[in-house]
Amino acid sequence: MLKIRNLSLSLGEFSLDGVDLTVADGEYFIIIGPTGAGKTILLETIAGIYTPDSGTIILDGRDITHTDPKDRGIGMVYQDYILFPHLTVEENIGFGLLQRKVDPGRIRDLVSEIADLLGIGHLLERTPGTLSGGEQQRAAIARALVLRPRVLLLDEPLSALDAATRDRLRRELKLVHRATGTTVVHITHHFEDIFALADRVAVMQEGRIAQIGTPDDVFRRPATEFVAAFTGMENIFYGVSRVRDGEATIDLGTITLRTVTAVEGDVCVGIRPEEVIVSREAFESSAINVFSGTVTEIRQNGIFSRVVVDTGLPFVAILTPQSVARLGLTEGKPAYVTFKASAVHVFGR
Amino acid sequence: MGDAPARRADQAAERIILGWSVVPPNRDAPTRPSAFKALFLVVSFGLVAYMIVVIGGLVVYPPLPALIESLTSPEILFAIKLSLITSVISTAFCVVAAVPVAYSLVRFSFPGRGIVNSIFNIPLALPPLVAGVALLIFYGPSRFGQMLSAAGFDVIYTPLGIIVAQFFVNFPYMVRVTRSAFETINPRYEHVARTLGCTEWGAFRQVTLPLARSGIVAGLVITWAKSIGEFGAVLMLAGATLMKTETLPIALFLNMSTGDLDLAIAASVILIIISVASFAVFEHYSGGQEVF
Repeated sequence: MLKIRNLSLSLGEFSLDGVDLTVADGEYFIIIGPTGAGKTILLETIAGIYTPDSGTIILDGRDITHTDPKDRGIGMVYQDYILFPHLTVEENIGFGLLQRKVDPGRIRDLVSEIADLLGIGHLLERTPGTLSGGEQQRAAIARALVLRPRVLLLDEPLSALDAATRDRLRRELKLVHRATGTTVVHITHHFEDIFALADRVAVMQEGRIAQIGTPDDVFRRPATEFVAAFTGMENIFYGVSRVRDGEATIDLGTITLRTVTAVEGDVCVGIRPEEVIVSREAFESSAINVFSGTVTEIRQNGIFSRVVVDTGLPFVAILTPQSVARLGLTEGKPAYVTFKASAVHVFGR
Repeated sequence: MGDAPARRADQAAERIILGWSVVPPNRDAPTRPSAFKALFLVVSFGLVAYMIVVIGGLVVYPPLPALIESLTSPEILFAIKLSLITSVISTAFCVVAAVPVAYSLVRFSFPGRGIVNSIFNIPLALPPLVAGVALLIFYGPSRFGQMLSAAGFDVIYTPLGIIVAQFFVNFPYMVRVTRSAFETINPRYEHVARTLGCTEWGAFRQVTLPLARSGIVAGLVITWAKSIGEFGAVLMLAGATLMKTETLPIALFLNMSTGDLDLAIAASVILIIISVASFAVFEHYSGGQEVF
């Protein structure tokens, strides 16, 4: 277990301010936040690159706040790969084992094993400069994983990749995490990473943790206005997607959505509250998803009203107070929610 | 078409030797150059021709047999040997000292870093003669100088003085080149190396130094060439004693003073060859980056 208590560090323009978090063994923990929130220096401080001004880092019951990075058993992967350009892929992956004075034959075996797991077994003789971005990031992940770290830190590992490669490597990260059971702390600014990978997520803002919870918690019950504004997606549901003739039906248990996506199987869907239309009667339109339910909550939220309609699943909609009055919406009254297929964002899990 | 690589190499060599950079052709350029372009090009080519004529003229001035005889004279051979020995030693010291200094200036933040940086730059602007006088005072009448002398290290008017003078004047150049080599290396390489099990030393030796290698080699070559050519500071600290502290530039100076033109030109020719060759090597390793 990784426990971080009251960690503070000031490094010029970036800082950490009393960061508290606990990551369980085998957990996939994602940290999200805007640029400059201090995400990278948090990871680098966990890795031991920086010594905090105050606070403690405890890994498996041992205080490692002042332990040398080499003795922490923590692996680090950066967005820009940072493969050593003067070494081959094989030498890069074997670099850490060599430092540990592992027998060369054993290094060769371990390197080819992890390289095969990541699908880069055929690239071992190449130098990093000749590899594609996706291949380089696989090599960087292999280099960290081959040491069987107690915690693997990933600093925006998918951000430098094109969309297709990113999706593929994201799926592989999930498989690798399942296969190795490594505890992962992953920084990102892509929501897809959270829905696809995270057991829990922390939102960082100006060096502080704004909220920690399951993706469901954080997106559906943002603790602060910042988190709400940053995530901006309150209608998060989990279900199973089936695609036929390009159209997908997503079974959410009590209701079934229709949308257009290529993602099949276990999915997470997100619908922004401003894309949900609330009405007293069902009406015919191009919007294909119409569900009847009951208004369970109306709350003034800034210049808008936040209306929750329970259709078996709670849908949050953002309306003007004038619309609420015009429709005569009150808690306990029946209402319909309507949204277009294109308003449904689908994330594979 | 077969000689295209050779032609490219020729052009590259020309660029290095003559120090002008080739501008890629502009397809849209009018066939008749504008007066503006013509004037600027005329000035450029005029000066290039001027430099070639001046330097080349020196090389071809003495008849070839006389030049060869001078080149193999005991005095010039001594000067070559002394120059090589002193410059290699002083360059080695420059490299060993410049690497930690340059690395500190790039990676560590410490109070007064800006001032330290400026102090290391002072000798770049200081006339070597002045540096030489300062060294002369420091190693001569000062208490430190007398202690060194008592311990058997005579710096003044000795070959050791040549090394000291070359080091003092050229060390800042080595720092500059090495610093720019380290600056191009992302510190994350070291961070990753350390999470992979390296000590700070290990990360430096196994990752940073190999990545900085060409920059350091470039600095080493240019520092060595400047050491061989160092005159002012060497003259002040080591004097100009025939066959004792007579490096190539000193040999050039002494023989000019005595009117022995052939020997002076022989020393010059060697210095020209060394500077052209080392500059070519420097350009190769530094990738043409601006350092000075």
